[in-house]
Amino acid sequence: MVNTSGGYSAFSLQEALELRASQDVIPYAGGTDLMVGKHRDADYLFLSRVPELRQITEDAGYVRIGAAVTFSEALASPLVPQLMKEAVSGIAAPAIRNAGTFGGNLANGSPKADSVLVEVASDAKLRLVSRSGERTMDVDGFCLGRGRTALRSDELIAEVLMPKQSPDCCFYEKVGGRSALAISRVSFAGIFDTQDGRISNIAAAFGAVADTVLRFRQIEAMLIGRTIEEARALRDSYVAAYAEQLVLTRGRVSAEYRRAVCLNLLNAFLSQCGL
Amino acid sequence: MDTISQSVVKKDHGPKISGRSIYVADYPSEGVLCGRLLHSRLARARVLRVVVPELPEGYYYVDARDVPGDNNVNIVLDDMPVFCRDTVEYIGEAIGMLCGPDEKLVERLRDECRVEYEELEPVTDLRAATEAFFSYSYGHGDVDRAFAEADRVYDEEFETGYQEQAYIEPQGMMAEPEEDGRMYVHGSAQCVYYIHNALTRVLGCGPDGVRVYQDVTGGAFGGKEDFPSILGCQVAVAAHSTGKPVRCVLDRREDMECTSKRHPSICRYRAAVKGNRVTALDIDVVFDAGAYSTLSAVVLQRGIIAAPGVYNIPNVRVRGRALKTNTVPCGAYRGFGAPQTFFAVEMLMEHIARDLGLDALAFREANLVRQGDRTSTNGVYHFPVPLPAMIDEIDRACSYRKKRLEYAAEQSGRWRRGIGISLDYHGAGFTGSGERDIIKAVAKLHKYRDGTVEILASNGEIGQGVRTTFPKIVARELGLPLDRVFFCHPDTARVPDSGPTVASRSLMVVGELLRRAAIRLKAEWVNGEEQEVEEHYREPEFQLPFSLDRFEGDAYPTYAWAVTAIELEVDTWTGNAKVLGAYADFDVGTPIDLNVVTGQMEGGLLQGIGYSSVEKMDHDAAGRIRSNSFSDYLIPTAKDVPNLKCMLHVEEYPEGPYGAKGAGELPLVGVPAAYLAAMEQALGGRGLRHVPFTAEDVIGALAKEEG
Repeated sequence: MVNTSGGYSAFSLQEALELRASQDVIPYAGGTDLMVGKHRDADYLFLSRVPELRQITEDAGYVRIGAAVTFSEALASPLVPQLMKEAVSGIAAPAIRNAGTFGGNLANGSPKADSVLVEVASDAKLRLVSRSGERTMDVDGFCLGRGRTALRSDELIAEVLMPKQSPDCCFYEKVGGRSALAISRVSFAGIFDTQDGRISNIAAAFGAVADTVLRFRQIEAMLIGRTIEEARALRDSYVAAYAEQLVLTRGRVSAEYRRAVCLNLLNAFLSQCGL
Repeated sequence: MDTISQSVVKKDHGPKISGRSIYVADYPSEGVLCGRLLHSRLARARVLRVVVPELPEGYYYVDARDVPGDNNVNIVLDDMPVFCRDTVEYIGEAIGMLCGPDEKLVERLRDECRVEYEELEPVTDLRAATEAFFSYSYGHGDVDRAFAEADRVYDEEFETGYQEQAYIEPQGMMAEPEEDGRMYVHGSAQCVYYIHNALTRVLGCGPDGVRVYQDVTGGAFGGKEDFPSILGCQVAVAAHSTGKPVRCVLDRREDMECTSKRHPSICRYRAAVKGNRVTALDIDVVFDAGAYSTLSAVVLQRGIIAAPGVYNIPNVRVRGRALKTNTVPCGAYRGFGAPQTFFAVEMLMEHIARDLGLDALAFREANLVRQGDRTSTNGVYHFPVPLPAMIDEIDRACSYRKKRLEYAAEQSGRWRRGIGISLDYHGAGFTGSGERDIIKAVAKLHKYRDGTVEILASNGEIGQGVRTTFPKIVARELGLPLDRVFFCHPDTARVPDSGPTVASRSLMVVGELLRRAAIRLKAEWVNGEEQEVEEHYREPEFQLPFSLDRFEGDAYPTYAWAVTAIELEVDTWTGNAKVLGAYADFDVGTPIDLNVVTGQMEGGLLQGIGYSSVEKMDHDAAGRIRSNSFSDYLIPTAKDVPNLKCMLHVEEYPEGPYGAKGAGELPLVGVPAAYLAAMEQALGGRGLRHVPFTAEDVIGALAKEEG
């Protein structure tokens, strides 16, 4: 452990968790949001040299991305799913991708976080650790809106668990105000899969349009277990259900614009799935 | 092309690229007080009382009571106070300044100041504004008769928004009392003598009582034409009051909310058309001046003079007003009033042509001015108007005519394409008789014993290259290597007043003075002696006197010309537009340095694309600008730079050095109309009338199509 003027640097997960539990610190991985944030006088817990948080590994069910893995590292890894790479490659600009991390994107608690959108669409899980133990939770329940998360004050995000899957179709679109260094105004990720001719997964996640990433599992359920033919027949009512549910907030752009673009992207996704 | 056009390494390239340049924020803080402005939070209110927290020793609060001279900043009408009078007129107006050694403590003390206001009803909506700072009108011919005899009549209204200069270095000035009682003021600026003159009034001293120096300046684009006079007076008052050096560098949000930007506009155009000729234009131009008049008079003049565009219209009536609103005062930004009116007139030509079933470019060509024609103000286009040749050059470069036809076919699917073109000019130099009657530029050359020559002129390097191009001119005339001629940042204690760094005038006007001075110096050259020569501005003999009362005569001695074509592709899913290519042909006369000119042309084009598309800034009903950061106010990034193809068409101007004309502002002016014409075509030809035209506007337009 090194106590620097801006806080503490940890060199192992154990050390990091001790500090996290005993000190009033803000976890700091890449720092790309914190550096421009308002906590100039806070004590930070610097995590970029904690080896346990910097690995990308896999097991039978998951690709496990450490919380302090940077976006550039993920782009270079053969393990990271293509859909995630697509989203990550559109984050900010190279310098920020070299520093920004998966854990930071989550902990920032923003519905605009591009990696979080893919995690929600992919049914990813998070492994949260503390000095007293660990827990695994769905990423969907982690972000509570407006910068709030389910992370306890003694916890750190250890890993993102991306389910291993090879779906029939993936769809991603980020709508920013320009081509780089753009905060998402609308983002969309879709995953579509069939088994034995029937739809086994049709995940649609909408980012940057509400307090959290939006996913409507009850609407998705309309099509789960259906054949392509049946789903085609249901397409209009399926889209209409989204149109009804997408009650959006205004931000840098109007709610009407966001809604129109969400529906355009949903329709494009469905067409790409052959529905 | 003239050999002088060959590019050299810019003289300021090394220090800037290596990070060795000293900007105003870089001077050591020791012994310097940090100043932080206390801004109004209301758009209009009487300030009853400012309760300042108890200040530790060495900390100060200064306001209007500390102004030793007159509490008015000299700009045009001098109505802007250094610190507010009994009322504040816009959100962000400076009420006072907190100063002290520790920046964080100064900020805390500033935030602890409590201002007691009596709220007054503000006017924030331009359409509700009635008070005109300036109201001009001019015209010629018989407009009413032309309308009575017209085949068709058109009536359209066009709107443009704010544009923020987005220079990389925010505004910053520093004032240091000198031992002899003189006040030394320096910082990020364009016009040292504007600041100098403003200071003498505010400090109540003679011209020798102040000295102003331009520090290395990180971009300006017009944004550092008037504001440094205001901030310079504020720090000078603080330094005068405290007896210590005071520096104030704005933070980005403060800069975006409280400093000048491009005037929003509403232009109403009525046109009479007979056959394929526009026989009359009846034009009403309204600019949002903001709360104080600052530079609005001259911005409006340039805007209304350009209002009929590059066309020979026999009957013209133009009315222009700069209206007061309780919002941030608008000022100078590349183009200076002309982008607004050129946008309007070019879109009008586009719409009339479509209505007549004519090709928009051919219709424009049928109405073009030619050499010898009268200008809008009954001056004369004394020199060739190369637009027809330039149009052909652009057409060859981007197949404009072919693509225009191709994209006119009905398009479906996700991506839709369009291409648009616009024609414009930039009147080179100050408007009217300003150069002769107001500026009266003087420039000097000082030769040292060792044979090196220093240029003494007040024009500031703001990225446009004058520290390089001025020496190139002088070195060429003297037959010296470029490293024997140098030009430092101007210091009013050392350089004569060769005028401000504005209006694309420096190279054309002051560059020519320097060329003449160099010819004289060469004739008088004596080895081993220190020598100085001085040149004064002379109005070209051909120039018809300009009357500002009647708006009559040569508003400009000559014109730089541009043809701009934008090709874009609209994403109908998201509303985003991708510029596939921006092609432009510029006649700026002889380029004094190809790299410098190309950099200017490409940069201006890109700023124009931003202005037309993503650069959206407005204020809410309370008068507050919300898009006050670079995550809210987007400008194009490197990844948004399209295929930019800039070409030069050289018509030499005999009164400019080696034929050079004004260049810097030209590339931005024509972009909005070319962009929106391309957008209009991509969206199927419906009439669009405002910029910026954002992704939201695209989705809105498409929804109408379906609805």
